[in-house]
Amino acid sequence: MSVDFRPIATSLMRAIWRWATLCACLIGSIQAVFSCFHVQNEFEMQVRDVGRSNIPLLSISIWDIEPDIVQRQLDAIAEKPQIGFVSLTVSTGQVFTAGESPPTDKLTAVRFDIPPPGRPSGHLGRLDIYENPQAFYREMLYNVAVALLGYGILTFLICTLVVYFLKRELADPLRHIARFVATLTPDRLTTPLKLERPDGHVRDEIDLVVDGFKVLQDGVNGYIANLDELVAQRTQELETAMLSIQHLSSVDSLTGCFNRRLFNERIVQELERAERYERPLSVAFCDIDHFKQVNDLHGHWAGDQVLKAVAGIFQRLLRSDVDWVARYGGEEFVIVLAETGLNEAVSTAERLRLAIEQEVVFCNDKALNITASFGVAQYSEGDSVQVLLQKADSLLYVAKQAGRNRTLPSP
Amino acid sequence: MLHRLVLFVGLLLTLPAMAMSVALLNPGKADEAFWLSSARLMAQAANSLDIRFEVHYAERQHTRLLEIARKIIARPAGERPDYVVFSNDYATGPELLRLFDAAGIKTFMAYSGLSDPADRLAIGPPRTRFKGWLGSLEVHAEDAGYQTAKKLIETGRRVGAAGKDGKDGKLHLLALAGDRSTPSSHRRSAGMRRAIAEAPDAVLDQEVFAAWSKDKAAEQAGWLYQRYPDARLVWAGSDLMAFGAMQSWESRGGKAGKDAWFSAINTSNEAMDALKSGRLAALSGGHFIAGAWSLVMLYDYHHGRDFADEGLELDQSMFASFTPHLADRFLERYGDMHFERIDFKRYSKVLNPSLKRYDFNFEQLLR
Repeated sequence: MSVDFRPIATSLMRAIWRWATLCACLIGSIQAVFSCFHVQNEFEMQVRDVGRSNIPLLSISIWDIEPDIVQRQLDAIAEKPQIGFVSLTVSTGQVFTAGESPPTDKLTAVRFDIPPPGRPSGHLGRLDIYENPQAFYREMLYNVAVALLGYGILTFLICTLVVYFLKRELADPLRHIARFVATLTPDRLTTPLKLERPDGHVRDEIDLVVDGFKVLQDGVNGYIANLDELVAQRTQELETAMLSIQHLSSVDSLTGCFNRRLFNERIVQELERAERYERPLSVAFCDIDHFKQVNDLHGHWAGDQVLKAVAGIFQRLLRSDVDWVARYGGEEFVIVLAETGLNEAVSTAERLRLAIEQEVVFCNDKALNITASFGVAQYSEGDSVQVLLQKADSLLYVAKQAGRNRTLPSP
Repeated sequence: MLHRLVLFVGLLLTLPAMAMSVALLNPGKADEAFWLSSARLMAQAANSLDIRFEVHYAERQHTRLLEIARKIIARPAGERPDYVVFSNDYATGPELLRLFDAAGIKTFMAYSGLSDPADRLAIGPPRTRFKGWLGSLEVHAEDAGYQTAKKLIETGRRVGAAGKDGKDGKLHLLALAGDRSTPSSHRRSAGMRRAIAEAPDAVLDQEVFAAWSKDKAAEQAGWLYQRYPDARLVWAGSDLMAFGAMQSWESRGGKAGKDAWFSAINTSNEAMDALKSGRLAALSGGHFIAGAWSLVMLYDYHHGRDFADEGLELDQSMFASFTPHLADRFLERYGDMHFERIDFKRYSKVLNPSLKRYDFNFEQLLR
């Protein structure tokens, strides 16, 4: 797994967590503001309640002039957490106070007039109740903290559930798919992707992905099958091309005989084989007589026709699977006769010479009679190609010197 | 031998005649003039009637009364008193009755009797539900309230107290009562109200409860003077409360007996002096004798002369309305609570067979 890998659930989680927290904070803030107002109202109501519920009793105590009781009542009022300070100014001038936090200038008192007992009007004194800011803020903080805690827990639970479902519905199947893809080799292309989804689950995008894989696998399979066929076809074509190239590179295009390059390759193998199996092997050099004249008199095309005719004779008369011919030079051919001793080779050469002699080559409605001279040599153990060819070539030379249209050694 | 036997029989005969014993549960404080003089006078009565007498002060805490009662009951039978006398102060009477009756100690209520209707219903008359409750002797406290208020109003008329800043030409009274639970306190106030009701030119501005305390009375009076600037007459349910109100008035620059008039109940030396000097306009007292009269009645009962023929729950006016002259005489005879001169044998029916009815008035002691 790479360092940069991060599970999708984690990313989603972080995002959800961030946003949920943000929302929780936002809602918490709104709640805090509302709670502020609410607590403020609640607070004022409580203070008013405290005041109102104590007025009748205070009224009686003041009326009956019971300073101790008045003081006790004020102490009881001041004991309430939301009240910081209470002061009672009796109309006859006495002042009672209770509470631990004397009011600052910022605090305004909730003020109550105390009527005489059993009478709605009249004035016995004035009760000033100052709230306790600490208690107020405590209450505020408490409310906000409870709200935030609630949202926090809710967010946490939602996130946990989301993680669970993400893992179950997304992360696990995706990992499964990833594992499947990682093991998808050409030989396993046909293995279908199967996910374990919870019971009674409804198809979703993951299933679409699985279906997509199936389509992809089928497509790839089809494509691969197609490709094999194509490759076979191309290979066939290539092989054919290769053969023709090989053929072209080893055959003289005019005569259809092997060319000099192939001869040089093949003769070595032939000699090795003859030597290895101690089989006889002979070569015959053939040179068309007065070929230059044909070219000069009748043009190159005529020369070509002559060459083709001679090659045709060789093809006709030689053993196609044992003997072979290469055009050695312009009008010179070398005939390799495997499994053939000198005598047999000479008679073969003679047969060829006769056939050439009888061959008529038509050229521009002119019949040309041609002849050829042959020099034949048998391979002796230890001969190099050079030596063997030298032997045949020197005999050909002798034949030419002797008046042409003949085979040496004589049959 | 015979001589010795006679002596022994004589001893046997004297055993029942062993001195009776009485305990007083005193609701007040040991330094409170009224309750101290009550106890002293009872001690003098016990002395002259040969009664063993013990006093327990509850120091004005009604829970202490019950504690004392339990301690007395917890004593070994031989050390318990024959009779316990107590007052129904703070409405502790019913509970005390229950405690002592369960322990088999005879009881008698003096000063304050049962006044609460619910209590009366629950407890019934003496010697019925609680067999050991012999009876009660209440001072007719209303008289004291009535006498002093009446005298105060008369003084007010005489000096023209209504004309002093009075806007409606009426005499404005302020009342400082004792407490809300003691019957005698109620009755004194009731007497005061009766006196005011009888006087068309007098109005009660307000009555407050100063709990028999001088300091509290002083404080409350201070408020009242501010609340009712027209009031010049101050009625108090006791001498201490009157002195508190006076102190408060004088601290405001007034002068008692010159620009405001006060009345009081009780027979402390200070009260007598204040009456003589004119700082008090009216004073009634002498009801502290109720305890001593109770001893006389118990003595007669103990010696076979039951007071049932006069009634089990007696309500007698014992108050003397003092004048400066009577105050002088009181101080002279009984100043500083010297009651040794009074011989209570004179008032016992057992010891004076010719006596048909008890006379409980205090004034006979000043003749």
